[in-house]
Amino acid sequence: MAVNESLRVLRTVHYDATHYSLYLQAGTIGPQTRPGQFAMLQAGDGLRPYLRRAFSVADVTKVAGVPAMEFVIKAIGVGTTMLGRFSEGTPIPVLGPLGVPFPLDDLATTDRVALVAGGIGLAPLVLLARELAARKIPADLYYGGRNEMDVLKRGDFERFLGPHRCRYATDDGSLGRKGLVTDLVTQALDAGAAYRRLFACGPLPMFRALARVVEAAKLDASFALESEMACGFGVCLGCVAPTTDGRFATVCKEGPCLPPSAIDWSRV
Amino acid sequence: MTTDLSVRLGRLVLKNPIATASGTFGYGLEFVEFLSLGKIGAISVKGLSARPCHGNPPPRICETDAGMLNAIGLQNVGVEAFLSEKLPELHRLGATVIANVWGDTEEDYVAVVERIGGDRRVAAIELNVSCPNVVKGGLVFGNNPQALGALVGRVRAATALPLIVKLSPNVTDITVTAKAAVDNGADILSLINTLVGLSIDIETRQPKIGFTTGGLSGPAIRPVAVRMVWEVRKALPRVPIFGIGGIETVEHVVEFLIAGADAVQVGTANFRDPSLSGRLVGELAAWCERHGIRRVAELTGTLKTRPRPEHKFG
Repeated sequence: MAVNESLRVLRTVHYDATHYSLYLQAGTIGPQTRPGQFAMLQAGDGLRPYLRRAFSVADVTKVAGVPAMEFVIKAIGVGTTMLGRFSEGTPIPVLGPLGVPFPLDDLATTDRVALVAGGIGLAPLVLLARELAARKIPADLYYGGRNEMDVLKRGDFERFLGPHRCRYATDDGSLGRKGLVTDLVTQALDAGAAYRRLFACGPLPMFRALARVVEAAKLDASFALESEMACGFGVCLGCVAPTTDGRFATVCKEGPCLPPSAIDWSRV
Repeated sequence: MTTDLSVRLGRLVLKNPIATASGTFGYGLEFVEFLSLGKIGAISVKGLSARPCHGNPPPRICETDAGMLNAIGLQNVGVEAFLSEKLPELHRLGATVIANVWGDTEEDYVAVVERIGGDRRVAAIELNVSCPNVVKGGLVFGNNPQALGALVGRVRAATALPLIVKLSPNVTDITVTAKAAVDNGADILSLINTLVGLSIDIETRQPKIGFTTGGLSGPAIRPVAVRMVWEVRKALPRVPIFGIGGIETVEHVVEFLIAGADAVQVGTANFRDPSLSGRLVGELAAWCERHGIRRVAELTGTLKTRPRPEHKFG
């Protein structure tokens, strides 16, 4: 059940000029949140930005012993920049948890799954990695970015999944293989890797390429889609994605975690 | 002293003047976690068509300064699904329901209204003749007093429920369309719908919205809406009005009432804070009590204008 509450900033960790982690009090939202769900955060009480911003809940954790929710954010506009500047103790209006989480209930410890992240799309996969580790479900991470600075929270992924299970790709070769993350996935599948399910979050070009990969490999998959949203709970109908049955699905309510086979990528 | 918050818009009696605007409140049921549907004055549901409608391809929205543009294209479940799947629960929760309806043609509008018939769970019909985001219907009626008058006349003949007509601000003189609606049987006027706008991605040189233009809403449009409510109140002093446009606070509600609205509809702010509309009811009562207002209806149309001076030269 979604909650509209005010949560205070506990800590902000800046990784570089644009990427940061915002830790808020967990409130009643944190403990209910399942991997893949998101929250709407309001940056300030002014009129610019006007609408809340949607962010995946990256982790439900603790900061100095205090229950916390972590959001990993890339500052690309007025809202995402402002959220990185609030001092400790600032109250932030938060609506969550929202949306359909990654499908996990049917997984067993005998299954193996793949996690695929592109750039800031790592966010929902951190909590997923934590959950998979807690349930002892083995998982391989494939994580790509433009450069080493784009590949965040490696320490957490390697702690949850094991360092040998985490593979990286960067456009400039500054970390892992030089190339695209989808190439890593394709090569692993070609080499015989078999997965019960693939979970992914990243930019649209990655989703497009990965949708073709999982279709060719007949691999079950769940993509955490991103879209501009005004409300986050199925009312504004602004965030829709075209579906293969000819209609539009709300990314916020029917998603954000959807099977790529349900999306009509030719109309996205 | 307790203020009487009830308002009377012709035959439509509301427990308070805080309603929610069509297109910003879904079918109401999406808000049950955030407010009590039975406590707000009324909810105007997402515009209903005779058949379900998929709406426009994305991108459908973009944020603007103090507001947003949208071109959703009236995606909705259709009147049948609304009546069977949404309305029973709304009724059970004590919501005062306004059925907002639209169509491509006069026949489409009449079909939806006839399907609703005299359903007592519906408090009023609101005609959307002002959606700027569809190729047919919508503004074809809202911009043209003759077409609007003919449509309202046909719908009037098809329903005994209170009939609200929601007007477009995308006209030179809103009192012309207001009169056309009232002369043909509208009981109540809602104003304003969104203003047509355009936002451009300067890197791609493409419109930010797939439909090219979209409807501007939010605090950015409030002064325009207040002005239009005032104009219609002056032109048609006896016609009840829902004021709509950028309402965020209790002060904004009072501003609309003073301009001439009998009640208001909260719109885009429901996206930013889904609890807001419920909270405004209590805040309005407190405001009235602080200001010694016994009946909230006393505020309507109490604008004190100064005489407009003529030019002086030399």
